[in-house]
Amino acid sequence: MTNMTNEIKVALRGLLKTPGFCVIAIATLALAIGANSAVVSLISALLVRPLPYHDSSRLVLIWEQFKTMGLERIPVSTPEYVDLERDFHGCQQIGAFAYRNFNLGGEGTPERISGAVVSPALFPLLGVEPIAGRTFAREEQGEGHDDVVVISERLSKNRFNSDPYLVGKSLLLNGRNYTVIGVMPASFEFPIPLFGVQGNQFAARADIWKPVAFTQHELKDRGDRNYSVIARLPEKVSMQQAQVELDNVIATWSRQYPDNYVNGSFGAKIYPLQEQVIGGMRSGLAILLGAVAFVLLIACANLATMLLARASARERELAIRVALGAGRWRLLRQMLTESILLAFGGGIAGVMLSVWGIEFLKRAGARTIPRLNEVNVDLTVLIVMAVVAIGTGVLFGLLPGLASANPELTEALKEGGRGATASRRHNQIRNGLVVGEIALALVLLVGAGLLTKSYALLQNVNPGFNPHNVLTMEISLPQLKYPAPETFFYLGTETTTRFVAEANRRIARLPGVQSTAATDVLPLSGTNTDSSFMIEGRESQAGPGADEEIRTVTPDYFRVLQTPLLQGRFFNDADTSDSTPVVIVNRTFARKFFSDGDALGKRITFDDPKHNPKWATIVGIVEDIRHRSLDVDPQPEYYRPHTQFPERSMILVVRSAQDPRSLASVIRREIQSIDPDEPIAKVRPLEAVVSESVAPRRFAVVLLSVFAAGALLLAAVGVYGVMSYLVVQRSHEIGVRMALGAQRRDVLGLVVGHAGKLVGVGTAIGLLLTCFSTRALSVLLYGVGTFDLVTFAFVTVMLAAVSLIASYIPAVRATRSDPMIALSHNA
Amino acid sequence: MIKLRRIERFYPLAKGKFFYVLRDINIDIEEGEFVSIMGPSGAGKSSLLHILGMHDHGWSGEYFLGETAVHPLKAKERAALRNEQIGFVFQQYHLLDDLTVYENLEIPLSYRRVGKSEREGIVADTLDRFQIVGKKDLYPRQLSGGQQQLVGVARAIVSNPKLLLADEPTGNLHSSQGEEIMGLFKRLNAEGTTIVQVTHSEKNAAYGNRVIQLRDGWVINN
Repeated sequence: MTNMTNEIKVALRGLLKTPGFCVIAIATLALAIGANSAVVSLISALLVRPLPYHDSSRLVLIWEQFKTMGLERIPVSTPEYVDLERDFHGCQQIGAFAYRNFNLGGEGTPERISGAVVSPALFPLLGVEPIAGRTFAREEQGEGHDDVVVISERLSKNRFNSDPYLVGKSLLLNGRNYTVIGVMPASFEFPIPLFGVQGNQFAARADIWKPVAFTQHELKDRGDRNYSVIARLPEKVSMQQAQVELDNVIATWSRQYPDNYVNGSFGAKIYPLQEQVIGGMRSGLAILLGAVAFVLLIACANLATMLLARASARERELAIRVALGAGRWRLLRQMLTESILLAFGGGIAGVMLSVWGIEFLKRAGARTIPRLNEVNVDLTVLIVMAVVAIGTGVLFGLLPGLASANPELTEALKEGGRGATASRRHNQIRNGLVVGEIALALVLLVGAGLLTKSYALLQNVNPGFNPHNVLTMEISLPQLKYPAPETFFYLGTETTTRFVAEANRRIARLPGVQSTAATDVLPLSGTNTDSSFMIEGRESQAGPGADEEIRTVTPDYFRVLQTPLLQGRFFNDADTSDSTPVVIVNRTFARKFFSDGDALGKRITFDDPKHNPKWATIVGIVEDIRHRSLDVDPQPEYYRPHTQFPERSMILVVRSAQDPRSLASVIRREIQSIDPDEPIAKVRPLEAVVSESVAPRRFAVVLLSVFAAGALLLAAVGVYGVMSYLVVQRSHEIGVRMALGAQRRDVLGLVVGHAGKLVGVGTAIGLLLTCFSTRALSVLLYGVGTFDLVTFAFVTVMLAAVSLIASYIPAVRATRSDPMIALSHNA
Repeated sequence: MIKLRRIERFYPLAKGKFFYVLRDINIDIEEGEFVSIMGPSGAGKSSLLHILGMHDHGWSGEYFLGETAVHPLKAKERAALRNEQIGFVFQQYHLLDDLTVYENLEIPLSYRRVGKSEREGIVADTLDRFQIVGKKDLYPRQLSGGQQQLVGVARAIVSNPKLLLADEPTGNLHSSQGEEIMGLFKRLNAEGTTIVQVTHSEKNAAYGNRVIQLRDGWVINN
């Protein structure tokens, strides 16, 4: 024990004598363990961990598709859901749901709460119990019976101070009283934002659930698709078997309702829920995992290089200890003590870095990655990373001890002896490790470079509008106060039109406001709507007609967004509910449907053309707006005036001469002066909307760049370390050369030249590896090829330059040494 | 005490040739002798000393240390024998830089599994004997060359070896320091320690009672 204490004391002393080595070794370990654990924990939580529902592997979503029209993953209509509930026997339970927003009134400031309408089967299907009260009973579905809600623990806490008697109390939602019947736990989240699917790409977390209440019109209209469907497959039914069963149900619809499902183009598909949640993130996460592996390898190589250099410098000391009587086990114990002390320091730093790293990832990816709130440091991952990194440290820390048990001591002990044989072997290993580090660092740097260039190009894409100085906010007029026509529950009537017009009028009068308008769907917000239509003169063509993206806007919308008018006119006050229906189309729409002539003046209808349709005239053509994403080409879009299609949920867009955020409170006051119960929600500048739309890509760029920068730093440290040791090792030779007449540049050339060889080989290998690795990146690139020569060249030159600078510092040190001292220097 | 018979040390060169460092060395050294090994550079003096000290194992011939035949022993056995019987003083001192003077003296005892309290006693005595008690907490870099070599000698004899081998012990010291060290060797020899030193210096050789001359690996005068 006393010997052990002494050894710990001596080991600590030895380490503290070389603080630079300690700091770099511990930092390297921390990076290998901590940063990598954070990212792998994230990936593990997203890809591997099951969803927070009972046996989530059996949960699936059912989406419909119109293959010939290129429409996939579209919701189902109410009659279709009812049919599935009755006829689809491939599932054990089935439920419908849709996002909804609720205006919470009553005591306090009116507030918009995100939520969902769900069928009563949903909570039992998910297998999650409430923490208070109950969930919906079957009979609570349907108009007149649906005046109950379940709320989240989060809402209970934030709005009602976790009132223990909340269950049974009444809430005023959308002007109507609902009884709270249950509270779901804080960990419960449904729906989870579904990436890549129309609408709700960045939906806020639902805090209120209400039973669905299908209207009579909804129950009849097979074409009005508003609901998503989730099902639980029985244990013995595979995905394929369920798909076959579903196809049979769909086939009967095609026979029973031929007008709705023509040409065999309609179908439905089953998607595992987990797959939907991760969606397009999988390839990005795989790339990150690759980056993690590279950084781990580089960190281990760096650690090994440093430890081998340290070991070489201690050959003499180890030889002396053997000469003084140290046995192999004593030597190994001493080396192990040092390695373990380093590992301990690195491990603690690594754990701290992993915790901090997870918090950073949660903040950075907040609106980018679903289920981020579930991510914590994965203990298994932490242990694996620690074992790999610390294992490397211990192994390379022990190697000199193992080698020194070789009793050939004379070389090390003699006058001028340098332990040459062991040093040569160590040199070769070190050089090899540094070459490997440089190669791997290059791969990471090229990847980060390509992603960064891609992101920069994306930032410069013209979205089709000017987002600067525009404030957006959502309003949602409750049906109770703003009645809906019988056929469309999401529309309003004159009361809705008047409210929106009055809101625009009052806002336009505010100081600082240049123009104001409203739309039902904001560009790049992740939401989308589409509708089918028929073009006059083409009614005889077989098929269900075209289906394109549709927007409802007020007259000044394009002026606020500064989207150019190409032909015709914008909507104006003459376009009322009583006047001729009109539409405006975008350039892509005009090109697609009227490529041989002018779109202006042509007419389209949303009705069945055989049954007295209302035709809408195309009165204007506007420039394309990139609605879905900056990296997706504009789609055909058409716009209708709000007066003729009064949506009750709209987004106000206000252009200001100054920072538009300063207008938020005055706008809120104006809205509530029209209707005191009407909250505004999601107040944010349009620039923020655009920025958030590229958040996933930005997240990938930031993460990969951080890893690449870390790799570059580690590679530079590796080169520096090798060159420093080389200078020490060759100081005698350098002294002789200088005594013989070598100038400063000759010595620099000697050292930097050696580094240049390592860098040259490393970059050559790295470029070869990069040719394969960049293929994996192609899914994330925009406007940049996987073999972008400029990026390759820039990164290669940068890495070479950094490495050579790292070697320059010890080279300069070598030129400054006194030849006489160098000539008398013992290794 | 020491018997060497037909000791040879060579290194292989290219094309099947050999370079001989030592050739047909036959030497007897009695207990209590103070022997100096002399000769020009490259004569093989240090090589012979390292063979005696069992640092070098690439030799042939017979080597007896006391009653023990060293030549048939395995490396581990030789190391044990060395620990038991031999102390070595190096020209470059070879003190451990991270250990204090006290710890440098203690380490050979620790390697020989001597208990803590016994070690403390032995080290204290040695510090006292060499009059370096006041320097026990200093590190080698804080000592002069002479003081470092003094510690080196103290370390070599702390485990009470029968044989003390010294390779140019005053080679890196100036003359007065060298005299101090040689005087110390003289005293140790008088107390019964057999000493074999390698030296270039006639003056240092004069402290001993016998000189062995080497040239080109051969003993030319014994």
